[in-house]
Amino acid sequence: MNQRSQPYKSERWRRWLTERTRLVDIANSLFAPPTTGLSVWIRTTAGAVAILLVVQILTGTLLAFYYVPSAESAHTTVAYIEKALPAGSWIRALHHFGSQWLSLFLVLHLMQMFWRASYRQRPVAWMVTILLLALVLAGGVTGYSLPWDARAFFGTNVADGIASGLPLIGDNVHRWLVGGAEVSTATISRFFGIHVLVVPALVFLLIAARLFVFCEPASSVADGGRPAAVVWKRRQFARQSMTAGIVFLALALYAMRHHAPLGPAANDVTAGYLPRPGAQFLWLFQMLKYLPGPLASLVAAFVPGFIFLGLGLIPFFDARRMRRNGGVYPRRKLHVGLFALGFLLIAFMTTKAYLNDMRDPKVHAQLQQQAAEEEAFRAIPFEPLPPRISATSSGMSMPMNSGSMPNHMISADTPPEAFQKRCASCHGTRGQGVKPFPKLLGVSTKPRRTVGDIIGLLDDPKAFGLDPPMKSFATKLSDAEKRDIAEWLMLLKKP
Amino acid sequence: MKNKVDPNDLPLERNDVDNDRRNFLLLIPIAIFASVAGAVATAAFRFLRPISASQRQLKWIDAMPMAHVKGDKPLMCSIVTERTAGWATTLEEQQVFVLPSHQHQAFSSTCPHEGCNVMWREEKNDFFCPCHDSLFGLDGARMSGPAPRGLDPLPTREKDGMLQVQYQTFVNNIVERIPRA
Repeated sequence: MNQRSQPYKSERWRRWLTERTRLVDIANSLFAPPTTGLSVWIRTTAGAVAILLVVQILTGTLLAFYYVPSAESAHTTVAYIEKALPAGSWIRALHHFGSQWLSLFLVLHLMQMFWRASYRQRPVAWMVTILLLALVLAGGVTGYSLPWDARAFFGTNVADGIASGLPLIGDNVHRWLVGGAEVSTATISRFFGIHVLVVPALVFLLIAARLFVFCEPASSVADGGRPAAVVWKRRQFARQSMTAGIVFLALALYAMRHHAPLGPAANDVTAGYLPRPGAQFLWLFQMLKYLPGPLASLVAAFVPGFIFLGLGLIPFFDARRMRRNGGVYPRRKLHVGLFALGFLLIAFMTTKAYLNDMRDPKVHAQLQQQAAEEEAFRAIPFEPLPPRISATSSGMSMPMNSGSMPNHMISADTPPEAFQKRCASCHGTRGQGVKPFPKLLGVSTKPRRTVGDIIGLLDDPKAFGLDPPMKSFATKLSDAEKRDIAEWLMLLKKP
Repeated sequence: MKNKVDPNDLPLERNDVDNDRRNFLLLIPIAIFASVAGAVATAAFRFLRPISASQRQLKWIDAMPMAHVKGDKPLMCSIVTERTAGWATTLEEQQVFVLPSHQHQAFSSTCPHEGCNVMWREEKNDFFCPCHDSLFGLDGARMSGPAPRGLDPLPTREKDGMLQVQYQTFVNNIVERIPRA
């Protein structure tokens, strides 16, 4: 073997990596034993899952640069991303549809693993996939609330309703989930924390555990690192990349064609709004229709729980049976039957949910109207959040000894508290006047209405001959309050 | 599993190991990846690049009633300015100095050096920046210290008995006065 003395560059790299890192082992541990035929392509769902996870993390990070998790800002910031930012709509659509595609491909991945019974040799990979699906669904639930439009608001309320209906723990789960008695700004903040910190952290942990802790027997042990097997793996990697690339491209094009939904803000919701969950939850939504109230929470929590638990435990059941039966798998047919049944249930319920909405004319009309409202909202140009007072330089300001203006801020838009309390009932909250009492807009331009005059007037209205007369505020307002009011009135202009 | 195969029976020639370097199978996915990733990277760059505020007319902001504008000392007043950035319009409180003795000339209180707020020192008759000791005269001209120019003047006018100013900020630490976009 003279070749060995002059290895190819790639061989040299491989040797360097083998000697100094565990990367080659880890890469080997990702490959199940070689197969031929159709199965080599079916197995590439793994590549699709991998690329979709990367897309979710990248687009999610980008969105986090603008999103603000609070009841007053959430919807505006999402609208800003959607309407004002270049490529914002595309990035949001990638994230929105990417999450649904990720759920779909994880289910497909599970199905092909099940079909190949790969959980027998590689139970860790199987269980990791199931946990990953659970986390992706949790990310979907929490992410659904974040835009804070009607869809999000009702989705959050339904999720909360289901959680609070649980026996015994319901009330606690509800309070911990929404961060109070009602769905509020605290809820968005919590869901945001779960969505961007907890779920991704668990996903990373899971993947790290899969790669670095629970290394499944490396395929090179089984194939002895034979050249033919090495080539097969290289080609399989190319196939995985091919599928991943095609899914990536398809998602990119799909997200260009379709907008992620965004309706008017949650507080602009019209009565009769019909909330609908994301596509990956439609089956659960449909099932809840057939169940009486108290049972619904149990089913919504336990059916997915049992499905996940049952799927996760398959390798163990299987292994025990196998040992007892001397290496034969007797329950395979039962497992296949249950798996098929579960899949059929989900597919049937999802289809039924779509069909029901299409067939019921009232529901159909309402959903159409909601879609139209979303389109109309999309067409309105972005409007920034209206101003609120934010103190910036006030911490730096130096009081003036000789200044004649008060050092605190006054603006025509913010009447002093004392005015609100004592004067607004007759003169209006902004000095616009309540009939028959006069308006105070532009009062500073009238004769005998300087700051000093107004303070005097408040003390002794009779001296100024008002008509209709005004009662004295000499004792009802402090001197500072009188000055505040008088100075604020100076700022009021004639409309 | 019925379609599991012995690696030695794989339909591959021994030669394939050597030919593998010439295997272009990977090129297609690489090309797809590169193009989509390129599109995403471009989108991300445009998405994160700050949107420059559209050129807008400076607003006249009420500073104080004309009745108060008197005397030979600078008067400090707080004005409320509006700033639209990102998704929100915010109100910000800013201090300006008005000089009744200099045709109601107004100055921004922001030091043109590093942006601290300058203060009027009654006893010395000058503006003093407490951060880096820049000194400015009663007319806002630079006297000493690290500031490269005098205090920034702001346009004023009189309307309906009120003194109004147009507030804006300028690039700091240079001699020229360039408004910040």
